Amino acid sequence: MAEELVMPRLSDTMEQGTIGRWLVHEGDAIAEGDVIAEIETDKATMEFQAYAPGTVLKILVGDGETVDLGAPIAIVGEPGEEVPDRPQQPPANASVEDAPEEAPAEAPAASPPAIVAAPPRAAQSGNGASGTLRVSPIARRMADAAGLDLGSLAGRGSGPDGRIVKVDVERLLAEGVPAAAPEIAEVRRPEAPAPAEDEVRELTPMLKAIAHRMAESKATVPHFYVTAEIDMTRAVQMRAELNEGLAGRGSKISLNDLIVRACAMALIDHPQAHRSYVEGHHVYHAHANVGIAVALDDGLIVPVVREADRKSVLEISAEARDLAGRARSGGLKQREIEGATFTVSNLGMFGVSQFSAIINPPESAILAVGATVERPVVVDGQMAVRSIMAVTLACDHRACSGADGARLLQTITRNLQAPSLLLA
Amino acid sequence: MADVTYREALRRALDDELDRDESVFLMGEEIGRFEGSYKVTAGLWDKYGPTRVRETPISEEGFVGAGIGAAMMGLRPVVEVMTINFILVAMDQVINHAAKIRYMFGGSVGVPMVIRAPGGAGAQLTAQHSQSLEGWFAGCPGLKVVAPATPADAYGMLKTAIRDDDPVLFCENLVMYNVTGSIPDDPGFTVPFGRAQVIREGTDLTLVAHSYAVQRALRVADRLAQDGIAAEVVDLRSLRPLDVDTVAESVRKTNRVVVAEEGWSTFGVGAELAARISHVCFDDLDAPVERVGSAEVPMPYSKPLERAALPLESKIEAAARNLLVECGVL
Repeated sequence: MAEELVMPRLSDTMEQGTIGRWLVHEGDAIAEGDVIAEIETDKATMEFQAYAPGTVLKILVGDGETVDLGAPIAIVGEPGEEVPDRPQQPPANASVEDAPEEAPAEAPAASPPAIVAAPPRAAQSGNGASGTLRVSPIARRMADAAGLDLGSLAGRGSGPDGRIVKVDVERLLAEGVPAAAPEIAEVRRPEAPAPAEDEVRELTPMLKAIAHRMAESKATVPHFYVTAEIDMTRAVQMRAELNEGLAGRGSKISLNDLIVRACAMALIDHPQAHRSYVEGHHVYHAHANVGIAVALDDGLIVPVVREADRKSVLEISAEARDLAGRARSGGLKQREIEGATFTVSNLGMFGVSQFSAIINPPESAILAVGATVERPVVVDGQMAVRSIMAVTLACDHRACSGADGARLLQTITRNLQAPSLLLA
Repeated sequence: MADVTYREALRRALDDELDRDESVFLMGEEIGRFEGSYKVTAGLWDKYGPTRVRETPISEEGFVGAGIGAAMMGLRPVVEVMTINFILVAMDQVINHAAKIRYMFGGSVGVPMVIRAPGGAGAQLTAQHSQSLEGWFAGCPGLKVVAPATPADAYGMLKTAIRDDDPVLFCENLVMYNVTGSIPDDPGFTVPFGRAQVIREGTDLTLVAHSYAVQRALRVADRLAQDGIAAEVVDLRSLRPLDVDTVAESVRKTNRVVVAEEGWSTFGVGAELAARISHVCFDDLDAPVERVGSAEVPMPYSKPLERAALPLESKIEAAARNLLVECGVL
């Protein structure tokens, strides 16, 4: 019998979802685990997988269209089956099993969502009706490390029942499908050309979320700014030495990795500059989860290096590279883009001398990093050429005072100017 | 280095230790004048006399218990149980006494005893005399259980067992007594417990085994090599303590595992390894851990049926090939 597929909840905060594009057409047969659409949430583009086999009878919501959570987006059933009558417009806030509590309990009886869509990569196993992409653990790990999206292989792997196994990933990698993530500091491709005439376009869900959150932050979070020039000469030197030594292991450390490490260490030293103001309370953070702003072709995303205070430079570097690569290929998981306690935003690769950034609440601070440039400076009464980097720390004045911010910045500066501390 | 049989390696270890330490003595059925049912004690009765190579009646419970008593009083008995099948009548002595005494006496008394017992099948000895029960004992805290697969390990591990201050079940295998290999000439040579060994390196899959199944795994690796498959063979050597690290290191390299044993798979050594591997190497696996053991029946007498029940090379090879097919390698 025909069943409706509904807009699934793919992030904690999404209220609506946009069909990025359908990967199937009406009349197509689908198997359990097939990726049938890409859905844009307020945070990321995610795969929508079939949780049961069937035939796509009707697509109700077209590419680029946005509907509320729980709204029917397609009808699946037996080939040739009649599509049942249904109300014209998908009802807003139709109830979903895990919908927010404020959702009306009295969802229109005429069109109850037939079943709840499973989130992608739900940790289920066995032959039950799950939406699991069948991938062996090692294959999944290799794909994640390389930033590969396995959706295109769903159900067509070499293993039992189409399970994607190691050789499939090796083959994909050998074919040169978007392999290892490019370096973070890489300059992005040029933007799309300007239109011939003025044009009004819808915002993508991500751009909507950025617009909403940044406006809210600037309007409600009292920002103050402290700026410092950091002598990066020794850090640059140390990075070169590390990279020379690590060349054989395929590791490459960026200046940003050192900055993330320096911030994480400093945040633990300054609990007053590492707390969030939340509804009249201060939330003190035990570990520094450092977000790294990654520019996309249009928009940005901030994957998080968790507990960076407990990680070595090498670990931070590997993780940041992996996260940035997947940020650009759209392969980040929800849990990888939430929970930051601090953000580093680096525009140094564009030659920016310095800038200030907007805090991403409930974080209480963000470090805006400019380019590291060789400049003549006075050292011990003599002119010398040093590598100088200007940074501006924006802080939430409800969480900390100017002196707290200054002390945090002082320690970040010390950590970077005596970079062997970063290896401690 | 001299090439000797597994049997001779054991005999030499006993000889070395009898010679080295006055407190070491042997006990068992027909181990003196008759030199043991499998001739492991050949020449030792003549050399050391009936006090240190003691013949016993057919009474496993009695002489295993006597060994425990002697060990508690400071001697180092090496008790031969003719085959592991006969240990069942002495089960209370092994599990409830040998394994528990150090604990029950608050650590003040130990049981530095070795029980040697061959297991295994393949000689039409039928259901009651063809078992591999080492997994039962390896599940019991207080015992050490080892199962060497080569003459060198048999030599070095039996010496380690005799020098150990706790009870050790030393599992041999009837089919293995005639396997040859080199052993060091050094009477000080020992092999520590709890260290598995990669005895053949490979990259495509890991075969984990102990005792005679290791010899089978090596031959399976040879056959797979003809198809360009590089199988790594890990010899566990000791079951308790169990060296999970070495197995895990191999699995992290190959991502695919077959565990082979001569005992039954259900609740067996492979079951324990599958659990450990899936715990420490979950993200490294390309397919579930595969197990090969004896058919879950009492061992038949008929030769064709016995072959059908045993985990012969053909079965280990088939399991390996199936796994490789599942992983798209073959």
